[in-house]
Amino acid sequence: MSSIEEQSVSSIAVDVDHNPYLAEGAGTVDAIVSIAVGSEMAATDEPPERVEAIIVDCSTSMLSPHGKFDEAKRATTAAVNEIADGAYFTIAAGTDKAVPVYPADGRPTQASEATRAAAARAVDGLQPKGGTAMGTWLAHVRRIARQHPGALTHAILLTDGKDEHETPEQLGEEIGLSEGEFTCDCRGVGTDWHVEELRAISSALLGTVDIVADPADLADDFAAMMRASMGKSIPDLTLRLWTPAGARVAFVKQVAPTVEDLTHRRVDAGNQCGEYPLGPWGAEERDYHIQVAVEPAAAGREKLAARVTVVAGDESLGEGLVKAMWTTDTALSARISRRVAHYTGQAELAQAVQDGLAARKNGDVATATAKLRRAMELAVESGNDGTAKLLRGVIEVDERTGTARLRRDVAAADEMALDARSTRTARVRKEA
Amino acid sequence: MTGEEVTCMQCGATVVPADRFCESCGAALSEVRRVAIPRAAEALDGPAGPCADCGNGAYVDEYCTVCGHRRAKPDRDQMNIGGIVLISDRGLEHARNEDAAAAGIVAGAAGERPYAIAVAVCDGVSTSAAAHTAAMAASMAGVDAMLRALAASRKARSAVLAGLADAAKAAAAAGTGSVDPSIAPSCTYAAATVVPTSAGTVQITVGNVGDSRVYWLPEPPAPAQCLTVDDSVAQELISGGVPADSEAVQAGAHTLTRWLGGDAEPTPWSESSVRTITTADGGSLVMCTDGLWNYLPEADDIARFCAGTDAAAAACALVDYALRAGGQDNVTIAVIPVGGLL
Repeated sequence: MSSIEEQSVSSIAVDVDHNPYLAEGAGTVDAIVSIAVGSEMAATDEPPERVEAIIVDCSTSMLSPHGKFDEAKRATTAAVNEIADGAYFTIAAGTDKAVPVYPADGRPTQASEATRAAAARAVDGLQPKGGTAMGTWLAHVRRIARQHPGALTHAILLTDGKDEHETPEQLGEEIGLSEGEFTCDCRGVGTDWHVEELRAISSALLGTVDIVADPADLADDFAAMMRASMGKSIPDLTLRLWTPAGARVAFVKQVAPTVEDLTHRRVDAGNQCGEYPLGPWGAEERDYHIQVAVEPAAAGREKLAARVTVVAGDESLGEGLVKAMWTTDTALSARISRRVAHYTGQAELAQAVQDGLAARKNGDVATATAKLRRAMELAVESGNDGTAKLLRGVIEVDERTGTARLRRDVAAADEMALDARSTRTARVRKEA
Repeated sequence: MTGEEVTCMQCGATVVPADRFCESCGAALSEVRRVAIPRAAEALDGPAGPCADCGNGAYVDEYCTVCGHRRAKPDRDQMNIGGIVLISDRGLEHARNEDAAAAGIVAGAAGERPYAIAVAVCDGVSTSAAAHTAAMAASMAGVDAMLRALAASRKARSAVLAGLADAAKAAAAAGTGSVDPSIAPSCTYAAATVVPTSAGTVQITVGNVGDSRVYWLPEPPAPAQCLTVDDSVAQELISGGVPADSEAVQAGAHTLTRWLGGDAEPTPWSESSVRTITTADGGSLVMCTDGLWNYLPEADDIARFCAGTDAAAAACALVDYALRAGGQDNVTIAVIPVGGLL
């Protein structure tokens, strides 16, 4: 049996969906916690200070193929045109270092008709020349973010290649230093960049990652990203998780709209609480899968396995209770919440895609075939049509016999799209 | 249902407590009061004691702030109303009390002595989910329906049937939202009304579904007797001529053939499930769940506890006996003094 608890404070709704019944001796509690911010909550009278930073790859490789750089410039201008009046913004050229493009002194200026036009002129005059060191780009945005404490700072990062002019350690260090300072959406244009590299940035900085195979599609994508950013009005929400003494938090994962493991982001908050930063929010809903191992109690006993509180600053905005009840009735304890099962499958799907593609790259055909075939099964079963469609580009599964075969000729862009979008999940309806 | 806000049982209009008749519809007014146990931990008086599991003394939403255990309900709850004593005890073996009981009185207008009594005792079927919700809902709904009927001067038999109908609905509704009807909450139900007649006698009417019982224990030398017939496999075998001490009967002692809620039939009782006796004797009416009669099956055994003592002392002694004898099930009892009261 599933239980749904809903508590709504200031229009943040926290739903808990799980089977609260446990068999005697069992102690693993799985719950899907849905957090929804209503449009009234998102529409605040006084919008928070916003800072937008766009980093355009200006490495020499942007010159080819012909027209790619023009599209990158057009996309940058399209994004700038979506910035609301009064929001601060800045544009930088990314090479082996980050060079301010607009304003020239690198200090963000407020968006207006005049500044947007001036920015477009500055972008138009850009010439690609140099290498790629994305860590320095992040450091540049971080310095800006620190000049605007409390602001909603968001960056768009565009690259066409891999991070060449610094070590992976340097990049990793810059990512770590930037966590919690700003959010970053990453885009790779063409197929010469590394999905893993951009995912490391976007994942840590609570943003999105995607491939834009055709440069002509950049402008629409950039405009959409900027509109989404303008829709965020709550600078930072935190998930606070209380668990009983003796309990262990096995994991905390965002599972919709994408899979993102937050377990290691826990900051101990005392009083048996840990806090997980959720980043900025607009009017939206995200689902989290929480697994807690509690000490089993006798049949008939009830325990609070977790208390989930959504916090902004010091203010608690919503709360959900994850209860556990022990029973000798196996008909009750054997049930699995439909949503827990679904999202467990979605997380496995993302992992199977990534593992399968990695094996394929390493020439391990057997592992790649097994993983990708499993991924296909999961994608089809769960109605994740987006991923299923992308999977068909790399693996053929005979529907009758179930025999799977890797495709020999796979377009690099298809493979990278599958990789970049592997964490996108299909939602499942809440049980009423 | 306190005496503070009084509404007409016929038309629902608010009435002045001192009035004898409703200004709105002209019906005779009577005051109705009802109690129910076991009460929720948070409804009970007194500060929360330390957590039984970890000793911590703070709770949020009834959960211990350290170990997370839900604040335990007290093992026993007792309430008295108009001389009636209700006790429900968790027993020793079960982790949770899934029994419930409710009792109410219809008083004459302007604070006259009780005019009629309605009591129900329910035992949640522990193989169903959240059985206590069915027991609680059925006992309260049954007593409320009986009180409404009695306040409207309907016959006791009709009141008991109305109680059965509402209790059945309430038990079924307690399972709303359950995914699987086969594990929806279900319970037994035993109800009684006590109404005086114009001839100076008392009319006792009982109705039951399941194996909770009503015993009539008049002052000697009148014989003590069980007024209800269990809906159990054991009873069916005995009715069919199988000896009561046979193995088959013993094995079927706790297998119910009828119940309320869950996947029960729409009306799991028959006309013969309701029975009336009229008596001029004083004595005690004892209603109980099988947590008591498992240890004291014979009416005479129970009668011994009630002779020469008041209802509260008798009820306590009976529950204590069941616990000393093993307390393998929840124990719930209602003791209704008859004769001296009405």
